[in-house]
Amino acid sequence: MKKPGKMKRTPQDWAVDIVAYSLAVLMILVTAVPLMNVLSKAFSSETALVANQITAYPIGFQLATMKYVLQSDLFLRSFGNSIFVTLLGSALNLAVTLLAAYPLSKRTLLFQKPLLILFVFTMWFNGGMIPTYLVIKQFKMVNSFLALILPGAIGVYNLLIVKNYFESLPDALEESARVDGAGIFTTFFRVVLPLSKPVIATILLFVAVSFWNDYFSPMIYITRTNLKTLPVYLRDMIVESQTDVTRSALDDQNLIPEGIRSATIVASTLPILIVYPFLQKHFVKGVLIGAVKG
Amino acid sequence: MLVRPAASRSRWKRLKKNGGYYLMLLPALSLLIAFKYLPMWGIQIAFRDFNIFEGISSGKWIGFAQFERLFQSEEFYQILANTCIISVYKILFLFPLGVFIALVLNEIQSSFLKRFTQTLVYIPHFLSWVVIFGLFTSLLSSNGLLNRLAVALGGEAVSYMVSPAWFRTILVVTAGWKECGWNAIVFIAAIAGIEQEMYEAARIDGAGRLRQIWSITIPSILPTILLMLILRIGSLLTAGTEQILTMYSPVVYDVADVIGTYIYRVGLGKMEYSFTTAVGLFESAVGFGLVVAGNYLSRKFADSSIW
Repeated sequence: MKKPGKMKRTPQDWAVDIVAYSLAVLMILVTAVPLMNVLSKAFSSETALVANQITAYPIGFQLATMKYVLQSDLFLRSFGNSIFVTLLGSALNLAVTLLAAYPLSKRTLLFQKPLLILFVFTMWFNGGMIPTYLVIKQFKMVNSFLALILPGAIGVYNLLIVKNYFESLPDALEESARVDGAGIFTTFFRVVLPLSKPVIATILLFVAVSFWNDYFSPMIYITRTNLKTLPVYLRDMIVESQTDVTRSALDDQNLIPEGIRSATIVASTLPILIVYPFLQKHFVKGVLIGAVKG
Repeated sequence: MLVRPAASRSRWKRLKKNGGYYLMLLPALSLLIAFKYLPMWGIQIAFRDFNIFEGISSGKWIGFAQFERLFQSEEFYQILANTCIISVYKILFLFPLGVFIALVLNEIQSSFLKRFTQTLVYIPHFLSWVVIFGLFTSLLSSNGLLNRLAVALGGEAVSYMVSPAWFRTILVVTAGWKECGWNAIVFIAAIAGIEQEMYEAARIDGAGRLRQIWSITIPSILPTILLMLILRIGSLLTAGTEQILTMYSPVVYDVADVIGTYIYRVGLGKMEYSFTTAVGLFESAVGFGLVVAGNYLSRKFADSSIW
């Protein structure tokens, strides 16, 4: 809301300000404290962890725990697996999505509408977990990264975001390229894609994050230890010292694993936190394009 | 699509001229058929005596036997109740919170603080459930921050993650922590689209800020609120399968086993493929019905449609 001009501020204005600012601070605290807590545990000294002193800042700062995590074979292997699946999956998804969104944005294209419905229908109805599992099993993709990459390479929601974005581009640019003799593919690669950087950045962020965070597919399709991705490794690690009620009494002895666990959580979130600021300015716009109906 | 008389030849021409477009659709269509439509075709095992070694379309037809078993099992009503309870809690507490966050952010006049808060509250959306499980396990453990605070204030420590009494609350709270900020985006955008003249006129008429929120902001974004609510209700039966699978343990099955987690445990764990496909079909069909009904309602009341 804009500032209330030259009008005198009433007591209500002050009251609303105070409440709104306090609530904003509350939101910041509620969001930040869990993050700061685990970050602090990852970098605090053993003694501080054992003494149970950590709140939202490190005590007795040290890097040994993080070093240990980053050198552990199991962590590195699952981290590498996740990087591989994320890079390949995102690249494939981006290519498939951009290519398909372009024809679907041409409303005069023959069969555009039925094809679009074919895509959108899968958002509202699906085969379900078991038939999907059986199909993937039939394709012999169990215990293969293909089971993580291929089903995730098509996302209808992102497809609609891109399609809507393409529709919002001025027709004149494409037409002049066509008049100059450019074919469909030349127009797409030389004219349309260079204009689409914001939406590409947006869906790249969404897609990469969903591959990186995917816990469900690797849990179902991957059983071999050396193929496990980071979320599965991380969950195994969190649960190991936590499963029974009875063991909560043993927590005192588990304080060192607590440090290692925290460092693993931090290390596995790092890639997201690194790309987030760069892509952040684009995604609000991207979300809004997607909110316009398909 | 207009079909003019004697258009079949020109239609063929158009198809040929536009061949490149269809080529571009090919990869997406292949993936769609392989991983979305083939599984739909596989739903038939819910009506067959399915044998994993013989393939999807080979078992004998057995009609609705699996559904009879489903509707007669007490377990099913338990998981259905869990699903609805958890989902309704989430809608009831978290949906208004997203709107509320948007309203609060809109009242903050320092653009630095506003942007900082927004940037921060969007972050949890990008964290995986496993990471959030890790964060809250650490925060809520018997010597975690929350219990230390409770003990310091004279309360008692609670093992939240393994407490049937607390687990649903934990699900709602963690879902809120992850998504509420993100869910506010669409409302923030709707508020940004409101004409500023309305506020100026209201101020000249002597309306205070609360009055402006109540009489201008909320009515202006009401269509957006309704549309989002309808979309949300469409996914009533997906109470957060991935979240619960990540966070739960056998101690809390009674209160937290939902349709999705049940299909996973019984279907993949005990290999009851046909039965759990029937459960999944029930979920998909109800979900589809809710979406269709929601779209009808949104056309009628919010004057907008989701397709």
